[in-house]
Amino acid sequence: MSGGDEIFLAHRLLDEQILDSEGRRCGRVDDIELKGTPPRVTALLVGEGLYPRRLPRRLARLARRLTGPERWGANTLRIPWQEVDRIEAAVHLRGKAEELGLGEGDDPGRWMVRRLPWN
Amino acid sequence: MKLILKIALGIIAAVGGFLDIGDLVFNTQAGALYRYDLLWAVLLGTIGIAVYAEMSGRVAAVNQRPVFDVIRMRLGFGPGLIALIASSLVNVLTVAAELGGLAIVLQLLFDAPFSLFVVLAVIGLVIAVALLPFGGIERLFGYGGLLMLVFVVTAIHQQPDWGAVAHGFVPSLSDSKLYLYFVVGVFAAALMPYEVHFYSSGAVEEGWTKDNLKENRLNAIIGYALGGTLACALVIVSGYLFHPLGVEPNDLGTVALPAQGAFGETGLLLALGGMMFCVGGAAIDASFAAAYNLAQFLGWEWGRYRGPKKAPRFTLSWLVFLFLAMLIVLSGINPVEITEYSVVFAVVALPMTYLPILLIAGDRSFMGEHVNGWFSRLLGWAYFAVIVVLAVAAIPLLLMTNGGGG
Repeated sequence: MSGGDEIFLAHRLLDEQILDSEGRRCGRVDDIELKGTPPRVTALLVGEGLYPRRLPRRLARLARRLTGPERWGANTLRIPWQEVDRIEAAVHLRGKAEELGLGEGDDPGRWMVRRLPWN
Repeated sequence: MKLILKIALGIIAAVGGFLDIGDLVFNTQAGALYRYDLLWAVLLGTIGIAVYAEMSGRVAAVNQRPVFDVIRMRLGFGPGLIALIASSLVNVLTVAAELGGLAIVLQLLFDAPFSLFVVLAVIGLVIAVALLPFGGIERLFGYGGLLMLVFVVTAIHQQPDWGAVAHGFVPSLSDSKLYLYFVVGVFAAALMPYEVHFYSSGAVEEGWTKDNLKENRLNAIIGYALGGTLACALVIVSGYLFHPLGVEPNDLGTVALPAQGAFGETGLLLALGGMMFCVGGAAIDASFAAAYNLAQFLGWEWGRYRGPKKAPRFTLSWLVFLFLAMLIVLSGINPVEITEYSVVFAVVALPMTYLPILLIAGDRSFMGEHVNGWFSRLLGWAYFAVIVVLAVAAIPLLLMTNGGGG
């Protein structure tokens, strides 16, 4: 990431809107992967599979019924930190959303989206 | 010249997005019951919406962050989800109220069953949204809503006791629970949260940047001043005509009667036309607000400017919200009752969406030099206190007065 200024992770990175290289909105930072000592951000975690983690335990159980368990690569995606281009009023990625598997719900190729009357 | 034109359009949009079924119902009833005594609550609510809209418009222009982007950032996922669910319920209820109002107005103009007009209203709104770009939607309903000026002309034509009208702007409380219920209702009807959800998302739709901050401020001041004038006129004409007669207007047709009294059939048609555009515009604003909120919270692509192909989930959720609202109206609940519930629940949910905007607008790390100044900060927190008090009082008052039934 360029810029290099300090940011508060929970204040400015967690829950932030993600945009791909073409400015397409393709999810939010639902969790952050930290590794090593001292801990460093190694990836952004994105997807509805992560929603239960963000809720109190009882609600988490209910939410997991809706979202299903965390399935990596499907409803839970790992975006390596190297993919992050810059952080402004949103997180800008270097690549396109579809290359990273992001924003599939708005993807015209998906069967549910394909069946909408205006497609 | 171009700036003046742009500002004029923005102001018209602000007027169009301000008056809705909640104001029509509550302000007319407030006038009939308490003559001009509640004008101060209209003024208080109008300043409140101007403060809230200016802040959220500024945040959107500086950061490209509409309301629910801010809520997700500031409240996080869990508490933000509560705000999302509460706002969605209120917004759908509001859409239902507006659709019911639209159908009633159509029924006064043409003779056919209520449920047919509800369905026609929904189809009409979907066609308008499908055919028009974002600015076109705002303009159609904004210009149409200006027909409501007939109520201002009626108020002047009636030649009320202006001393008594002026006295109504002095805040006064009483221990009558019904009076307090109407204080909450009239205030909340002016400060409906969907207006701000829509306004701030609209700023992103229209690609606002820091260059639009002056426009934002003028919209908030002049636009809502005009909207507030219309809202006050509703109280005045009703207070003048209905209060001495002891009439309690329980249906929407009564709202238009003062204009008919002053200007005959022309007055009636202008009033009904204005009501139609206001309520129709509000139905679009509130249903868009529900879809904006959901998409922004979850990080989906959104916006009329993206079009249905690029933002399919947003478009689909808009249609689903509109459809749910239609089912609520078709269930046979009286639209005036739906309106009262939507307004009262709106003020209960309001602190959750107001506080994050206030916090971000005052946060230099987000806003830089456009952070709240001392005046905005003072006004912002003062209104937060007012909103919290009203939010706490709203439900008990609703229950104690039997929904304003006394």
